[in-house]
Amino acid sequence: MSKFNVGDRVTIRDLPPLFHTRTQGYTRGRTGVVVALRPEWVIPEDEAWGRYEGRREPFYMVRFNQRDLWPDYGGVAIDTLETEFSERWLEPAANASPAAGNG
Amino acid sequence: MTKSSPSGYTSLLQSIRAHAPGEHQGADLPLRISQERAEAMLHVVHDLGGQPDGPLDKSLHTPAYWEKCTHSTAECLAWRGVWVAEERRRRENDLGETIYFGTPYYARWLLAATKMLIDKGLITPDELLEKMEEVRHREEGAA
Amino acid sequence: MNTSQDHGHDHSHAAIEERDEAIEFTVLETAIRELSIAKGLFSAEDHRRFMEWYDQVGHTGGARVVARAWVDPAFKQRLLADGVAACKELGIDWLQPTGVGTPSDYTYLIVCENTPQIHNVIVCTLCSCYPRPLLGMSPAWYERSNYRRRVVRWPRQVLAEFGTIIPGDVEVRVHDSNQKTRYMVLPMRPAGTEGWSEERLMSIITRDTMIGVALPDIDWTTSSTPSGTGQPA
Repeated sequence: MSKFNVGDRVTIRDLPPLFHTRTQGYTRGRTGVVVALRPEWVIPEDEAWGRYEGRREPFYMVRFNQRDLWPDYGGVAIDTLETEFSERWLEPAANASPAAGNG
Repeated sequence: MTKSSPSGYTSLLQSIRAHAPGEHQGADLPLRISQERAEAMLHVVHDLGGQPDGPLDKSLHTPAYWEKCTHSTAECLAWRGVWVAEERRRRENDLGETIYFGTPYYARWLLAATKMLIDKGLITPDELLEKMEEVRHREEGAA
Repeated sequence: MNTSQDHGHDHSHAAIEERDEAIEFTVLETAIRELSIAKGLFSAEDHRRFMEWYDQVGHTGGARVVARAWVDPAFKQRLLADGVAACKELGIDWLQPTGVGTPSDYTYLIVCENTPQIHNVIVCTLCSCYPRPLLGMSPAWYERSNYRRRVVRWPRQVLAEFGTIIPGDVEVRVHDSNQKTRYMVLPMRPAGTEGWSEERLMSIITRDTMIGVALPDIDWTTSSTPSGTGQPA
């Protein structure tokens, strides 16, 4: 079962980067909105290191407002970015955070 | 290319110096290192998003035969269960920044595949070197 | 090979690259391929099939899909709902050449529709994930670092470098393909193409329009095909 649903505001966990990742540095610690549920796939942390039949986990597409990713974003306020994460990288956003995404 | 003679070897060394990132070449096992520098150096090689850079070079490139072959070889190794694409990408990072940024795109695939085959004991380094010599003579004979 | 005497002085990098192209990668690739085949890791036939697939894929497949979506609203709905299945209708089979898809391209496709409110652009900042079964091999600039570094943070500037200016009231939406999903942009059909055949429409659907760095340009076609009949891309 998926822990998050479309419309949920989530914050990307900010773990130390080392050797390899599929969770871009620019998303870490940032808050966005789940816009789609993706299939359960083997997590890249297993595939990258040779555990081909490793742990399967729900994936989510998350939409960010560009201004929440880049404090100096030079485009317009409506610009967004979408990318995907496995469930372990997401946590519910704190209520105080400003809403992100527009969908 | 030029390593068969001593003068050729010194020019190869010069070429290595010229192509390697100068800052790393100048370093000599620092006794202390700042946190800022440690984080910069341990940053995951392929995680490029947001790094400043100049205007885009939109040059196009017609793949060389070895580049097409490399794509196919890497994919066949994955198709037949020897590795997966994500492992390939991790192994590209493992090559380090000098090779990651300093060689053509498919050289990364190729070097990662080669090291993987050796790591897993599927080929031995000595048989690889013998094979490379054989292929080199064949290629030079054909040229 | 040639050395010493006349090459004792320094050369710039450019001169070194011009003088000769490395044989090293050809040697290494041939060596690991022949060893792999000799040890039964894969077969020569496997490799031949992938080489043929490599030569056969190209952005023409994507152009065919977009042109059909422009003329057939029901197909467009199917394409947006299930990209892989819709591609199959037009003979683009994401399961080739292995029967289970290519290891690096997977079998998940999301088609991102451009609208008067949203302009989509795709990138893979962490490597160079690209919908190869549909668009063929990615252009060099898509694989190289500069695009990967900048388009997620300065998308409007990068688009401008392609000559693509997106109005401020249109949302620019960047898709960073960092997992197993692959993306393609469905550009908007430009005005002035009413009544065009699918084949003629395909002539303005360039690879770059399906990455999202360019917009279909009707003037480009009319000026480069004086007959006005268009050409398959």
